[in-house]
Amino acid sequence: MKKIVSLALALCMVLALVVIANKPAAAAEETVLKLWCIATESDANRPAYLQAIADYEAANPGIKIELEAFENESYKTKIKAAMMGGDTEDLPDIFFSWSAMLSTTTYEGKHFGVPTTFNIVALYANMDLLAEVGYDHVPETYEELTACCDALLAKGIIPFGCAGKETWCVTEYLEPIIIKTIGYEALNKIFAGEATWNDPDIAGAVTTFQEMINKGYFDPAGAALGNDETKANFLAGKTAFYQNGSWNTGEVANASFKSGVGLFPVMNADRSSYYQTIGGPSDVLAVCATSKNVDAAAKAAVELGKEICHYNYLNAVGMPAWIPYYDTSSLSPLMVDIAGLVGKCEGLVLFGDTAMAADPAQTYLSYVALVYGGEIDGPGFVAGLTNDLG
Amino acid sequence: MQRMYSKKVYILIFLLPALILFCGVLIAPIGASAYYSLFNWNGLGAKVFIGLKNYKELFTSNAIGFMKALRNSLLLAGLSVFLQLPLALGLALTLGKRVKGERLFLSVYFMPVLISTVVIGQLWLKIYNPDYGILNVFLRSIGLENWTRIWLGTKKTALGAVFVPTLWQYVGYHMLLLYAGVKSVPPELREAAMLDGATDGQVNRYIVLPYIKPIIRISVIFAVTGSLKSFDLIYVLTNGGPLHSTEVPSTLMINMLFLRNRYGMGSAIAVLLIVLCFGFALLISAIFREEK
Amino acid sequence: MRNNSKAARVVIYIGLVLWMLVNLFPVYWMFTFSLKSNPEIFGENVIGLPKEWLWSNYSSALKTGNMARYFLNSTIVAVATILITLGVALMATFALTRLIWKRRKTLNKFFMLGLTIPIHASIVPVYVTLSRLHMLNTYWALIIPYSAFSLSMAILVCTGFMNEIPRDLDESACIDGCSVWGIFFKIICPMMKPAVATVGIYTFLQCWNELMFANIFISKSALRTLPVGVQALSGQYTTEWGPIGAALVLATFPTLFIYIFLSKKIQESFIAGAIKG
Repeated sequence: MKKIVSLALALCMVLALVVIANKPAAAAEETVLKLWCIATESDANRPAYLQAIADYEAANPGIKIELEAFENESYKTKIKAAMMGGDTEDLPDIFFSWSAMLSTTTYEGKHFGVPTTFNIVALYANMDLLAEVGYDHVPETYEELTACCDALLAKGIIPFGCAGKETWCVTEYLEPIIIKTIGYEALNKIFAGEATWNDPDIAGAVTTFQEMINKGYFDPAGAALGNDETKANFLAGKTAFYQNGSWNTGEVANASFKSGVGLFPVMNADRSSYYQTIGGPSDVLAVCATSKNVDAAAKAAVELGKEICHYNYLNAVGMPAWIPYYDTSSLSPLMVDIAGLVGKCEGLVLFGDTAMAADPAQTYLSYVALVYGGEIDGPGFVAGLTNDLG
Repeated sequence: MQRMYSKKVYILIFLLPALILFCGVLIAPIGASAYYSLFNWNGLGAKVFIGLKNYKELFTSNAIGFMKALRNSLLLAGLSVFLQLPLALGLALTLGKRVKGERLFLSVYFMPVLISTVVIGQLWLKIYNPDYGILNVFLRSIGLENWTRIWLGTKKTALGAVFVPTLWQYVGYHMLLLYAGVKSVPPELREAAMLDGATDGQVNRYIVLPYIKPIIRISVIFAVTGSLKSFDLIYVLTNGGPLHSTEVPSTLMINMLFLRNRYGMGSAIAVLLIVLCFGFALLISAIFREEK
Repeated sequence: MRNNSKAARVVIYIGLVLWMLVNLFPVYWMFTFSLKSNPEIFGENVIGLPKEWLWSNYSSALKTGNMARYFLNSTIVAVATILITLGVALMATFALTRLIWKRRKTLNKFFMLGLTIPIHASIVPVYVTLSRLHMLNTYWALIIPYSAFSLSMAILVCTGFMNEIPRDLDESACIDGCSVWGIFFKIICPMMKPAVATVGIYTFLQCWNELMFANIFISKSALRTLPVGVQALSGQYTTEWGPIGAALVLATFPTLFIYIFLSKKIQESFIAGAIKG
């Protein structure tokens, strides 16, 4: 556990986009801080937000947090329109953001963000289906994984489901293969723009992914489906594996079958290792540079971030990016397994589309879509991205 | 009265509210868009003036695929005029002849127009679902197993699959417009033709259609501009995918504005869309005038 | 129908009824979907009647979703938009059809430009304007843009109706000593009643299901309209679709009932509107 914490804290330092404006504190009697987020009524994060706000208001009399929640997709357009409009009145004091968005919304270099959850890409498995083909654990080597998939296919069970309609779901499959081929340091440099995509091993990783698709490991129907539907297929026992963010743990743990979790196996042991994975504190609470109460907002963001993190962990929707405050013995076994995986992590790379700026991220995603659609091969992927993103 | 009606003050007062509303909300933003379209701007930082480069890139870059998006929406417009409207016209002509239950049919046919696009989109997602969707289940049950497709996930079928609900939803709208026209044909005209021994088809052809030509013109304009502007359903069903095969200018525009942060480019698409829509509206009006 | 053989009539009827079923299906689907659980919605039972009728979906939609409030907001916005559109359009049409001046044909064409402008193209500029006027987060933030976007259609419809009103009426009123205002309010407006319903329904269709503006211009949940409220029911990580279906039913069915209830009137005024428009 200590390792998670130290790792997470280190990441926060690196990623958490510091710089606070040094303004004198406003001496208001009652300070109202507006908080925008996507924790809508049916969102798994909602309880954590409510509990954290209640705690914070109780501990800090005189400060009121006004929560407004928006639907995920519409929130993206909304926050961008608000930023472009540059209207200080409508903008909140604190807002939920993805790391990627933050980099594009930096205003005069002033930004302050606090991570609220910590997630990795996990390979969930339906252990009941795996047992049918003689496996009692999640395959740990690529040979084992392909053998398992072949056996599943022979029994008429589709190994994977991947939502082609939402390209980020495809990256949840492709990026782990890439990191297990070229290692986290190399991939980090590429995402950060410090190195180009021109690496023949990436082409190899893409080819591996396409081989898996061609062998029929992926449900062909996935091309037309969204994430909700693909996940529903896995939870209904239609596919044996589901690789996606660890925020799904609560739902998978509640499935009617015995579930297991692991990481994608190593492809190239020279450059990578099993405990390297995609993940990180992708969700942050950011302080708006134009807020009239920047100091109060920053303080609140830090506390709320920690608390939301903690409650999310207890509710099994996210790994802590901070030291959990209280007793955590009520966790589900699957959550403990994931925590164990995270604890052993040797290298992390943030989800590609959140690590890159908006325009390159979209270009990257469209190339990933081309790969999934079989329109380009590995070398084509590398050549295209090297050409377009430099 | 002439003098009273020519007073400038009255003209101004009566027009002012409309002009303020119209120019403030519709025209000024177009001006702003036209201005921004000349810049390379992410919506936040500094603007860099690049002249018409955005437009040039739109027409030449394969990566953006604007021409393909344009082709898609023109195809939709064509289908709308040559498939959706004839269907609506057929229904309108049939119902206009006092069929039993006319009112019930009319009401029901108009219902999809009233239902929000989000609902219609979700419904069609379920219809097209590759595993349990009604379409594939139906094909399997009648033994046409190899006709089943991943309708929205395959490049070949996605465009068609997106067009069907888009066209279907507004059949009722055009039908009601045209029905209104059919109903307004003076009964004497109809009766006189009938007395001369004209068949139903001849009455429709020589009496009704010429009479409702102005309404057909409006319908055609709405169908074409509506197709060029179409966004909601495509956004829900495929969001332009798979592999940009169902992209239309509006989805590209939203992508540029809000996902890629290319505000200048998004504005350029907006300007082109408006020009296109207006151009087509004028063209259609001209064609109809010509035929007179 | 006398030229048609019985067989032809039967075929036509079958066609009409089939097309009716196709159009009724979404309503049926939405209703049953609102009473199902997630597994049933996602594959187990997509089109059948619910195995277990989950009326609780409705209570959870009402409780968590605050649908009553959203419904009220949508109604306020729609009614105000219709009233403003009508008022402004009637005045403008009066100037465009009755008053005498040179460039009125040109200006009419200018207004028709509005029919062709895609609503999504103007989001950011309109947002900036609204924020400068401090109108964000008020009903006006929606009423004004919706009215503006409905205006062209309203003028189009009203022009047709107003041209039908004989000019002799104006003439005689003028002789009786009526002012321009008197003619407009006492003679023209009362005769434009059929236009009201036509413009009303067009405007209503324009604003009731609109999502983009409503999402971006309103941040306070107390002022949200139905489409945004329904959308806010679905979350990023977990989404229970049953209550969303219930919310959709609550958002749609009142309109359908009102439509069925008023359909005769609406259709009549449409007929009146279409010929003249």
